[in-house]
Amino acid sequence: MKGLLKNNFYAALSNMKAFSIIMLLLGVFVVVINHKIPTLVVAGYMLLGMIGFSLISIASLRKESTAKWSKYKLTTPVKRSAIVKSHFLSLLLWLFIGMVFAGIGTVLSIILHGYPFSKITDVFMLFVAGVVISLLMGTIFFPLFYLDGEKRNEVYIILSLICAIKISTFIDVLFPGSMNTMQIVLFGIIILVCVLFAFVLSCLLTVVIYRKKEY
Amino acid sequence: MENILELKQVSKTFPKSDFKLDDVTFSLPYGAILGFVGENGAGKTTTIGCIMNTIIKNSGTVKLFGKEMLDTDTTMREKIGVVYDSDNFPVYWTVKQLSNVMEGLYVQWDNFLFQKYLEQFHLPAKQKIKHFSRGMAVKLAIAAALAHHPQLLILDEATNGLDPIVRDEIQDIFLEFVQEENHSILLSSHITGDLEKIADYITFIHNGKVMMTVSKDDLLYNYAVLRCRESQFPALDREDILAYRKRDFQTDVLVSDGKAAQRKYKDVVADHVSIDEIMLLLIKGERV
Repeated sequence: MKGLLKNNFYAALSNMKAFSIIMLLLGVFVVVINHKIPTLVVAGYMLLGMIGFSLISIASLRKESTAKWSKYKLTTPVKRSAIVKSHFLSLLLWLFIGMVFAGIGTVLSIILHGYPFSKITDVFMLFVAGVVISLLMGTIFFPLFYLDGEKRNEVYIILSLICAIKISTFIDVLFPGSMNTMQIVLFGIIILVCVLFAFVLSCLLTVVIYRKKEY
Repeated sequence: MENILELKQVSKTFPKSDFKLDDVTFSLPYGAILGFVGENGAGKTTTIGCIMNTIIKNSGTVKLFGKEMLDTDTTMREKIGVVYDSDNFPVYWTVKQLSNVMEGLYVQWDNFLFQKYLEQFHLPAKQKIKHFSRGMAVKLAIAAALAHHPQLLILDEATNGLDPIVRDEIQDIFLEFVQEENHSILLSSHITGDLEKIADYITFIHNGKVMMTVSKDDLLYNYAVLRCRESQFPALDREDILAYRKRDFQTDVLVSDGKAAQRKYKDVVADHVSIDEIMLLLIKGERV
């Protein structure tokens, strides 16, 4: 698993470096400048960080399929299931990096300019939204990638992003407006657990698909 | 003789292609180099895919080290080194990154040995693989395949397209590798000159079917091509003929015992045969 994670890390590295620099510059813009609509700016920064890192993580899968490495990997002492799991795990790790960026930017903005949102739970729910979209994106993308999409990678990335956002919006519609703080937090946790469950199911499904994959 | 690799009646069909692997059977003994010869599209890569489970066979058995290899047999794959023809590794990697990944994949990865091969092959450790020439990329793949102390090396057209100096260098490495009696090499190629130098056995494959497996000594010392005139060819016993190919005024006939054929057919010229010529006769010629 260690070698597979390193492999995934190197595949994403150059794009992640560039994106990290963009996030740092945007972070300075978010933190230093006192915006007219801070809610939108901070929320946008948080979501961009989480979704952006996750998106680059799954997009990097395409890079290694251009070489014979996808085939070579199967000749190394790793199980097919471990290869699939490593991609899901890498997405989680990059999502965590995105959350760190989002967290630091938000905390610094609050320290310098005050709390920009109307409810105390808004920051938490923004994290929930970022995590939900990122995980749903992976949940949809990985099985499609191994089923058909190595040559249609970009199409499936866009499709999974759109589907993830649509599903999140649908969940938001289900959200009753008159909930207290405890209920909102509980609602967020339930959504997170459900999405994590879907993420794990998708991993198992991808393993089944990948077991039949030939190179 | 014990075999490190054994294929029995391995078959594979593809839904979108007419090509099929048809009852492929051959074996590779411990301590030997087997040249796997066939034209482009003959089924060499598909066979190697079935051996390494990158392609899922329809039927037949593939035994490595005496047992069938499943996806879960990771310890068995520790003992196998594989080199494909090109682009074995992502081109955005540096050699150092390759070493880091391999170290995480192979328990037996020997970084010291890998560095030794890098020096021996004059490969720059800090350079990205995308800047490597084809020869350098193949040498890197060979270094990586050897650096985890495999017992079996599988090379799929790895030496094709390399210059003679690099090929010679690589052949020396292979010969050194099989000095250990439990080490073997399966070397697929359509460049037969290399195989004539280093292989102990040759397996010919054509249209997904194994035409024959023969030891190189048998091939060099016993196999022959009879150059028959038009009037001489009909007089040959059918059972002596492995394959034949008609030319303008001559028919070339492949026989497995040149000396016996020479004694039997006194007027017919019998020439030594090269792997190339056997391949041509088996592929372009006719069988009795």
